[in-house]
Amino acid sequence: MNLFKTTGVNRGLMQIAIASLFFAASLTSHADETCMSPYMAKIVGQEDFVYVWTLGQENLGDEQDKLVTIDVNPASPKYGKVINSLSVGGRNEAHHSGFTDDRHYLWAGGLDSNKIFIFDVHTDPAKPTLYKTIDNFVKVSGGVVGPHTFYALAGKIMVTGLSNNADHGGRTAMVEYSNTGDYIATHWHPTDQDLRGAEKSGKFADGYGYDVRALPRRNAMFTSSFTGWTNYMMDFGTMLQDPEAMKRFGNTAIKWNLHTRKPEKIFDMPGAPLEIRCAWQPNHNYCFTTTALTSKIWLMYEDEQGEWQAKAVADIGDPSKVPLPVDISITSDDKGLWVQTFMDGKARYFDVSDPFNPKQTYEKEIGSQLNMISQSWDGKRAYFTSSLLNNWDKKGDQDQQFFKSYTWDGSKLNLEFEVDFKAEKLGSAHQMRFGAYGLYGMKRPYETKQAEVNSNASDTLLASKPE
Amino acid sequence: MALSASLILGLELAPTWAGEQTKKEPNTEIRLAPGDDKTSYENTDYETNSLSLEYRTGKAAGLYEIATSPQLGLPLVSISTNNRVDRAKIQLGRKLFFDRRLSRNKTMSCAMCHIPEQGFSNNELQRAIGFEGRNLKRNAPTILNVAYYQGLFADARESNLEQQVWSPLLAPNEMNNPSIGYVIDTIVSSSDYSGLFENAFGTPVSMQNIGDALAQYQRSLISGNSRFDQWFYGKEESALNTQEIEGFNLFVGKAKCAACHQIGRDYALFTDNKLHNTGIGYENSMLKPSQYVSVQIAPGVVTQVARSRVDSVGIPPENDLGRYEISLDPKDRWKFRTSSLRNIALTAPYMHNGQFSELEEVIEFYNRGGVAHELLSPLITPLILSKDEVKALSAFLRSLTGNNVEMLVSDAFAVTIGDSD
Ligand code: HEC
Ligand code: HEC
Repeated sequence: MNLFKTTGVNRGLMQIAIASLFFAASLTSHADETCMSPYMAKIVGQEDFVYVWTLGQENLGDEQDKLVTIDVNPASPKYGKVINSLSVGGRNEAHHSGFTDDRHYLWAGGLDSNKIFIFDVHTDPAKPTLYKTIDNFVKVSGGVVGPHTFYALAGKIMVTGLSNNADHGGRTAMVEYSNTGDYIATHWHPTDQDLRGAEKSGKFADGYGYDVRALPRRNAMFTSSFTGWTNYMMDFGTMLQDPEAMKRFGNTAIKWNLHTRKPEKIFDMPGAPLEIRCAWQPNHNYCFTTTALTSKIWLMYEDEQGEWQAKAVADIGDPSKVPLPVDISITSDDKGLWVQTFMDGKARYFDVSDPFNPKQTYEKEIGSQLNMISQSWDGKRAYFTSSLLNNWDKKGDQDQQFFKSYTWDGSKLNLEFEVDFKAEKLGSAHQMRFGAYGLYGMKRPYETKQAEVNSNASDTLLASKPE
Repeated sequence: MALSASLILGLELAPTWAGEQTKKEPNTEIRLAPGDDKTSYENTDYETNSLSLEYRTGKAAGLYEIATSPQLGLPLVSISTNNRVDRAKIQLGRKLFFDRRLSRNKTMSCAMCHIPEQGFSNNELQRAIGFEGRNLKRNAPTILNVAYYQGLFADARESNLEQQVWSPLLAPNEMNNPSIGYVIDTIVSSSDYSGLFENAFGTPVSMQNIGDALAQYQRSLISGNSRFDQWFYGKEESALNTQEIEGFNLFVGKAKCAACHQIGRDYALFTDNKLHNTGIGYENSMLKPSQYVSVQIAPGVVTQVARSRVDSVGIPPENDLGRYEISLDPKDRWKFRTSSLRNIALTAPYMHNGQFSELEEVIEFYNRGGVAHELLSPLITPLILSKDEVKALSAFLRSLTGNNVEMLVSDAFAVTIGDSD
């Protein structure tokens, strides 16, 4: 049964099995980066590439945004090397990216230019090409600015916005596209003027947006809230000293009905809740997020009455010093949560086996500044990058820009290799996504010893095939 | 196959949300404040009062009539250029003003900094942010009644609106167009402008007529007939209450505000169109920064962040020497042009650097006698105003909002914002 014929995503390209959430039995034991959409085709085992969506820096190299491909397979002769760099033109404020559910295309957004670059990553996963650029996002969406998260739904991509073309503030919407790049709908975040049927459970309905994640088995979708163009584009130090600007941060998270795309409940979550990561285990009906300014871990969970609630469950570092937690990543067994704090450059591991009582059990300084993490499904490998936002990154010598590859043995992180993005004249390293030959039924172009990884590359694709 | 799979797929096949974007009824009420209301955000009991952007719609106003008819408290605008008031030119300028394509990367229009519902200024930050998030050193002022300034900008460096437009269009930290020709080409290649310049000017798009059109729109943003005007010039006794009248008396009397923010027999511009040193610029250039920065991280939550931490992620503020930067005369250090105080209730934060959030803070600044130093204007001295007098002055300043501002904002909401297609 080919469930995805209806989505029209294959477009006559390679006939391969497409993974989906719906084969949940296999999914819970095999998949890749733990922050990916459950609708996504899965990598199991060793990833071959990490694609790094990189910001161009003025006076560095070609100064423009690019998709950088790093070979991360220890068996590869090019292991640890930058094997491709694809410049897209302009400093768009490259930020996040996400695959279509079939994993054929990588959508990557520019928070400033509002351009969306769609890369073909399946024809040659070692050498992505630019397939299409969407440059009318603001116009077709009815004024949404700052395409942020690209989250795969079945045959569709949900794009969260951060801002708008009227005041460059934080009120915004989610914009839904087909996998082929056709606009479908704009879903505005609820405001006091129009709650759109949602319950304002506390004092806030700010209309702000940031990340989106779904728990399809609960028919639930969650969004968080950051800030508008003016703040995310401006110099961070200047902003911290501007009392007006500091009032313009999101203080809400929203539970939506996944099917109807209607907001149902607005939670108060003061201090800019950013990344959302939902638990993977079938009986774990909860998601984590962290507030950047107030430095707390929040849990959104379904209570015994089936009602969704939100609760602050832990502090991150010393909140009074504003350590600025940014990216987070949940382990596939839902027992651990990596939390990166930008200001002190630390990766922090929280034991979240009891999601209501996270306990930090490990920390390590990765660099002078730190933002993103991507971990393998088995949790044994973790990759880190440095950049937060072009004008928020540290200045001068403290502006280290890197990609660092670590192994995690359960008690400590061990550095395997690093790429200095400034020395390589690439730019500021931001978000990472994994690629693999096996996803597309391809063989690796080199011999691999059985001891290291499975040589026929089938180790990368197991989770998707319906039995 | 799992049960949930068939359930969700079944639903996916019948998307109820598709094509949902419905046009909303135009707003009948215009709020003269950010749609993202942060009033009393400093308190723990802050509640949102946000507006939906889908309802940010409006009704076109008769701008030509506004530009050509006298308003209580304001003279008719006299122009020294040969850019005569014209309906088609105003309309063209209005379209250009809201067009985000007129910047290097198509993200910045004039209206992104001069935001209609925020008093055609920006209430949401102290100093403006432009192309690629670059800092500007000054607060974005209102362009309501900008027609009455003799010298434009806080240092009065520009002499007319026709020329002024090229400053933001070409400034690397504002709209960042690489050349005049680039702006012209952008307009020529946008099909929605086809024939509009020819129709309004009888000539194709040019440097001159871009400036003329934008100047025409800005000159139509005239806003008088405030409650103060109705009381003072219209002789309507009930237009101001006793506190506001007390404030007026202080303004022209004990507080000496009218020495610079002038009120005339027939009209009041609330500016002498001259440059003065109030000490605020001096303080910014010369004062040593504090070791800690108060940072508000959530409603009612403030934390003290070490200066070194703030500096690690920040660039130093650009110095601002005011008129001196134009004249290079050391006597002109920290002199700034007197701002008009019309519509002042709508244009926080205040002063050239947006340093004060509230009108009361500005009045307390004058009450202290500004910042004493060698070059301080002799017109600025300690005032010894009581708390009640400060309140009365502030109440008076709040009576200066023109009675057509809602109409001008609604008119602005009716414009289609220019974005790439
Ligand atoms: C990036 C923000 C920004 C943009 C974009 C911008 N402005 Fe401004 N505008 C400012 C600031 C800040 C000032 C004050 C500058 C100064 O005093 O030196 C200003 C000043 C002005 C003034 C002078 C007002 C006075 O009181 O003298 C006018 C008129 C004006 N702008 C019109 C425009 C027009 C027309 C455009 C579009 C072509 C535009 N602005 C684009 C920020 C902006
Ligand atoms: C010596 C002339 C002078 C006197 C007297 C004076 N002002 Fe001003 N005022 C100025 C100048 C010049 C500015 C612009 C300063 C700047 O931008 O830094 C200004 C700015 C202001 C502003 C902010 C305007 C804006 O758009 O940000 C307010 C409000 C104001 N004055 C109120 C008053 C009041 C009330 C008094 C009487 C207590 C007063 N002024 C007395 C010259 C004067």
